[in-house]
Order: sequence, then C-alpha cells, then structure tokens
Amino acid sequence: MLIRQISDSASRRYRLLGTTLASLVYLFLLLPIVIVVPIAFGPTNGIAFPPESYSLDLFRLFLSSSDWIGPLLQSLKVAVISTVVVLLVGVPAAYGIARFQFPGKVVIAGAMMSSLVIPTIVTALGLYLYFSYLRITGTTFAIVLGHVIFTMPYVLVMMIAGVQKLDQNLEFGAQLMGATRLRMFRTVVLPQLVPSLIGATLFAFLISFDEVVISWFLAGPTTATLPVKMYSAIKWEISPVIAAVSTMLTAISLVVCLIMVALQKTTPSNG
Amino acid sequence: MIRTAEMRGAFFFVTPATLLTLTILAVPLFYIFYNSVGGAGLSLAAFRDLLSSGLFLRTLATTVIIAVSSAVLSLVLGYIIALHLTRQPPKRRSIYMMLVLLPFWTSVLVKCYAFTVLLGRAGLVNEFLSWVAGSPVQLELVLNRIGVLIGMTNYLTPFVVFPILASLLAIDPAVYRAATVMGAGPVRIFFTVTLPLSLPGIIAALSSVMVMGLGFFVIPALLGGPRDAMLSNLVDFYTRETLDWNMASAAGVLLLGLVVLVTVPLTILRKRKA
Repeated sequence: MLIRQISDSASRRYRLLGTTLASLVYLFLLLPIVIVVPIAFGPTNGIAFPPESYSLDLFRLFLSSSDWIGPLLQSLKVAVISTVVVLLVGVPAAYGIARFQFPGKVVIAGAMMSSLVIPTIVTALGLYLYFSYLRITGTTFAIVLGHVIFTMPYVLVMMIAGVQKLDQNLEFGAQLMGATRLRMFRTVVLPQLVPSLIGATLFAFLISFDEVVISWFLAGPTTATLPVKMYSAIKWEISPVIAAVSTMLTAISLVVCLIMVALQKTTPSNG
Repeated sequence: MIRTAEMRGAFFFVTPATLLTLTILAVPLFYIFYNSVGGAGLSLAAFRDLLSSGLFLRTLATTVIIAVSSAVLSLVLGYIIALHLTRQPPKRRSIYMMLVLLPFWTSVLVKCYAFTVLLGRAGLVNEFLSWVAGSPVQLELVLNRIGVLIGMTNYLTPFVVFPILASLLAIDPAVYRAATVMGAGPVRIFFTVTLPLSLPGIIAALSSVMVMGLGFFVIPALLGGPRDAMLSNLVDFYTRETLDWNMASAAGVLLLGLVVLVTVPLTILRKRKA
C-alpha cells in the first residue's frame, strides 16, 4: 500500500515498460508452438499461412503412412517401457537416499544425477560405443536403457522431494508392527506418494517420448523413434506432415502441463 | 555412527539404481575415455590431431560463442519474464506460469520445425516485413547464426525463468519499501536491490543454460548452416560420417572438459552465495 502511495508516474511508466517487454517475450516463447497448429489443419500440397482451406488431411496422411506410424508406435513402446523401468529402479532409490545415511551416499546420488550435467551427446556416444561392443546397438532394448539413464535424475529429484514431505513416524510404526521392509514400502510409503508418482511418471514418459539425441545414436532403421524420424524429416525435406506430428506432440505437452499444474494445486504445502 | 539396520535398509533400496548407473552410465563414460586415448595403446594422437585441426578449433570457437551469446540473451529474456511474474498476485501468476511451462514442455523438434516455417526466405516473418515495408523483403534468418541464436534463446529462456523467479520471490518486500521510503527511484532500486539480491538465481540459471548451450546438438543441426556446427555436431560427424571413434571420443572428452571448466566455478560461486 505504502509503495502505491509513494510511487509516482515514473514508476508506473517502468511498470508499463516491464509488462510490454514481458508480453513480447511471452509471444516469442509461444509463437513457434501456436504457428504449427493452423498449418497442421491445412492442405497437403504445401505450407501456407494462413492455409487456404482447412481439413484433417495431414493427420490422415500422418496416421496412414507406415513411414510415420511405425516410429510413433516405437516411441510409445520405448517411452512406456523406460518409464516403468525407471520408476521401478528410481522410486526405491529416491526413498533410500531421502531416508538413510550410508557411506558414499553423496557420490552414489551424484552419479545417478550426473546425466543432467553431462552433455547428452557425450552420454549418447558412450552408450553407442559400449553397446556396439556388446552388439546391441539398433535394438529397442538399447534405446530403453539409454532413456532410463537419461530420465533417472528427474524421477529422483521429484521423488526425493515427495519422500521428504512424508511423516516418517508412520514408517517406524509399520516396522514396529512387524511389517517387512518391502511390505512397509508398498503399503505405507507408496500410497502417500501418489501425487509425486504421477508427476514423475509424466515427466519420465514425456522426456523419453521427446528424446532425440540418444535415440539418434542408438536407433537402427527398424527401431527409429518418432523424434529420430522427425529430425531427419526436418533436415532433409520440410513436409507439411511434420506440422501434424508437431501439433500432436504439442497437444501431449499441453495435457502433461495441465496435469502437472493441477497436481501442484492439490499439494497443500505449496507456498 | 551408522547402524547396521540403516545400512541394510539403504542397501535394499539403493542397490538396483546404483548397479544400473554403474553399468549403463559409468562404463559407457569410461569407454569414451578409453577410446579417446586409442584403447589400451594409451596414445594422445587423437587429441593431438584434434588440437591441430582447423575444423576442430573453428568448431570449438563457434561452440563457445553460440553458448555464451544464447546464455546472455536467454538470461535477459528470462529475467524480464521472472520480474513480471514476481509482480503478479499468486493466482494470476500461476496462469502466466502456464505460458512458460508449455514452451518448457514442448519438444525441441516442434520448435525447430516452427522456426524453419517462420524464418524461412518466404516465411511468415519475411512476409510480415515485406507487408510493412511495402516491398519484398527476403532476410536470411535461418540456416545461419541468427537462426541458431533465435532457436537456442527460445529453448533456453524457460530454464532461466524458474531459478530467477525463485530468488526474486525470496526477497523480503520490506527491503523495497525501505528503498522507496529512502527516496530511491525504480531504476536505482532495480540495480541496487533487485539485481544483487537475485544473483543466486542468476548464477543457477547461468550454469544450467551454459551446460545445455555448450552441448547443443539439434538446434545447430536444424537451424544453423555448415559454419554453425557445434562440438556436438562434430562428435556426430566423426561417429557417423568418418567412422573415427577415437576422434569422436576425444572431441567428446574435450566437450565434457569444457562443461566442467564452466560449471565448477559457477557451482563454487553459488555455494558461497548460499
């Protein structure tokens, strides 16, 4: 209140300047996302904006051509499997890191998170060399392993934050009542972690589904994921079908984004 | 003193992820180092070849220039948004946040495709400029340095907003009131109060933006020309085009070294500020 009374027209002018600049930056951030949508509903013979006519032809083309549908299904498969694996491995690890003290904890946790600070191309090259030695490059299995390592830090960060909000006394209680560690984890810890689990699942799924660099190195001709197909399509031919693919990817991102925001609102400790 | 029960608990929960990290991350990284020195031969030939190759040195310079300029650009744009968000009441802030979160979650390929459409010779931006100028304008905005910088700045800005917003929201409003009562104008308040107090957020943003910027692969490949190739693209080139795994690994090791060289001082600085 006091600020309002004291502030003069100069500060109001700066405020207006700030809002104007911010609007321009929002526009810059959103423009590329918005622009592909009308193109996706345009004709199949060329990219024009705004399109002369609207139809679902590009989506039909996208979903009926085996060039695109194969990579789409491959991406779904890779993303689902890597999400399941990274949750199975990462959620207990996050609990262990959040709840226990053990020697080497900082080093171990740091190593698990390190793919965040290692350039993705370096991780991808390492995996490529190693998997070539093991003769598994080009397999779905190889891509899944790469994505598990890549998504692990995000799952850990989310789940560690989730565990730290829990009341540890419930866990002590369950163990005093004679529950085994696994049973205590399954019946006491996991149910309380549902919001964080949904968040981590969406995060892992979307990161894997959109991941380009690791897949680019590890995928073979029959195991190319949608981003790999898209990358080469943008590089070699700018086909309007890519607009339909982009619109679908953006719709998925929007849904994930909305769920994440809704999740944050249901968490009471959100300050 | 660590109790054995505690140790057993930790072992039970953390072992699977540790084994996976060792076998699927640590071993591959070791492979890069191993290959970069020519395997068991322990020769530094690949590094010598790289450091005397004009292509490598040019790419290294390009990488640093692009990473630093897109970091600076995205810091400025991100700061503008973070300031705007700070001034909103909480409810409206969460709505504006969506405008940052959606681009944050959008695939980099979608953005690259959109920018090739927007910035192309006959793209929307040129069409708009032609309309404004009343005569045909055909600026080269893509497949060159400008395209890369636009794409990278667009990609990095959301990553800047979150840490800076956090540190701006942590500033006690009483500080602003005090500064205003003492007669400081908005510009002076910004430079003597807001900016210094948000420094931890700026440093955090800078280090994450530099890590991403130095290692960028997709954007220079799709929005840049041949002269805008970055180290990541060079690694790809050695791996797939010339099939020289020793050179690819040596370039990877040097890229990793560059990232460490940039992030370690920033991390120390951040720890000291905190």
